[in-house]
Amino acid sequence: MSKFSIEADIRSKLAVVLGFSTIAVFIQHIYVLSFILIISIAAALLFGANILKAIKTTRNLWYLFFIIVILQSIFSRSGQALLAINGFPLITAGGVLKGGEFLMRVSVIVFSATIISTSNSREVVQGLVQLKIPYDIAFMVSVAIRFLPLLRSEIKDTFTAIQLRGLDLKKIPLKRRIRVYLYIFNPVVAGAIRKARGLSIAMEMRAFRAYRKRTSFLKLRLSAADYFIMVFTLIFTSAVFVMFYYFNFPAGII
Amino acid sequence: MHPIKISDLRFKYEEAQKNILDGINLELAAGKITAILGLSGCGKTTLCYCMCGIIPHIYHGHLDGEILLFGNPLHKMELSRIARSIGIIFQDPDTQLFSPTVEDEIAFGPENLCLDREEIAQRIEICLKLVNMEKHRFEHPENLSGGEKQLIAIASVLAMDPDLLIFDESLAQIDADGKERVKNVMLQLKTLGKSVVLVEHDPDNLAIADDIFFLKSGKLEAINITNKREFDELYKI
Repeated sequence: MSKFSIEADIRSKLAVVLGFSTIAVFIQHIYVLSFILIISIAAALLFGANILKAIKTTRNLWYLFFIIVILQSIFSRSGQALLAINGFPLITAGGVLKGGEFLMRVSVIVFSATIISTSNSREVVQGLVQLKIPYDIAFMVSVAIRFLPLLRSEIKDTFTAIQLRGLDLKKIPLKRRIRVYLYIFNPVVAGAIRKARGLSIAMEMRAFRAYRKRTSFLKLRLSAADYFIMVFTLIFTSAVFVMFYYFNFPAGII
Repeated sequence: MHPIKISDLRFKYEEAQKNILDGINLELAAGKITAILGLSGCGKTTLCYCMCGIIPHIYHGHLDGEILLFGNPLHKMELSRIARSIGIIFQDPDTQLFSPTVEDEIAFGPENLCLDREEIAQRIEICLKLVNMEKHRFEHPENLSGGEKQLIAIASVLAMDPDLLIFDESLAQIDADGKERVKNVMLQLKTLGKSVVLVEHDPDNLAIADDIFFLKSGKLEAINITNKREFDELYKI
């Protein structure tokens, strides 16, 4: 975390993420989305999130987003044709705008979500519990997040084992590569299930769900800054909605 | 009273043809380190699972015979009650640690037992001191070495304050230094009056054991090993 970052409670961070994501989902306007994207990046940096790391981690997801943007540009036709083949408009201004809006929307969600990554999973669970979410559900979410790296390492180990036997996955044809992926599916899933089972046994042997309630060593307390962040987020989100829906600002582009 | 008393225990997994445990009798000595040896697949882990209630509470099969935990029939006890008396440490520390800090990991069990915060804080301190890992209290367990992770797994189980600890090949995946540290903890536990069951493969780790049993063909037999040659003889098929 940078030394200029804000130390905030997970609940105020969740409020910020919820506010930005709600705007991104409900308002389909490229200017508003661009504005919210800039604000969410600034907020993520203020909270001490590592934006570059987040981009690197979600690298493969961004490729997918770009493909969706291109497809959306092609399939949603409105406005002036930017590229036409034999008079058939292939890419239109409206399509490009829609694609751009989609990209802005997912960027707002991804970058604002990095704010949560500045708290550890225990704080997230405790924050949710103190927001009256049942502990079992909150804890299961955190364990699922914990389990993803395990699954990734399982897949990586299996691929390494295959390649050490002399099979270079980058050099074989796609059809054969798909067959190899199908071969490794079973051991990877079996390994993941085995690890998940081990984890659940270890938890049971430490009296998980022994009683309907449990105590918590970690207690979160909201500071004045947290209240300010939450109130400010509420006012900001409401203001954006009022400006857009009531005052029709900014006006439509196409 | 024996921490564990097993009488004529027989167990068969649901899909299996024959019993993996076939007439086990064992009276575990209190405050001692008891080692259980055996070839791979002979049923050592199954025996551990029976001793701590994982069988029949989580894994099912055909179970006969009686296991008494401090005089109480184990199969009638809830797993949460068993967890107060027995702690088990598995081979792979990665499947035992799931919290973002060492402190949270150790607090998990006592929190489930609904202990108050002061009591939990006290237990965290005592357990970290016992495994000599105080300086790692706020670290992510993922950043620790294999041996250190295993020490945190032990501390997490010790925080439940069990009277009996089972180490199911817990030394198998850690380096020589890590093994020495874990063995020192076992000896400390013994001095604290805790009973320890050590399931092992390596003869070098048996020096700390007071009693040694060998599991073969589903039966348990008390043995006395004084050197590596005797150990190698045991493993000859």
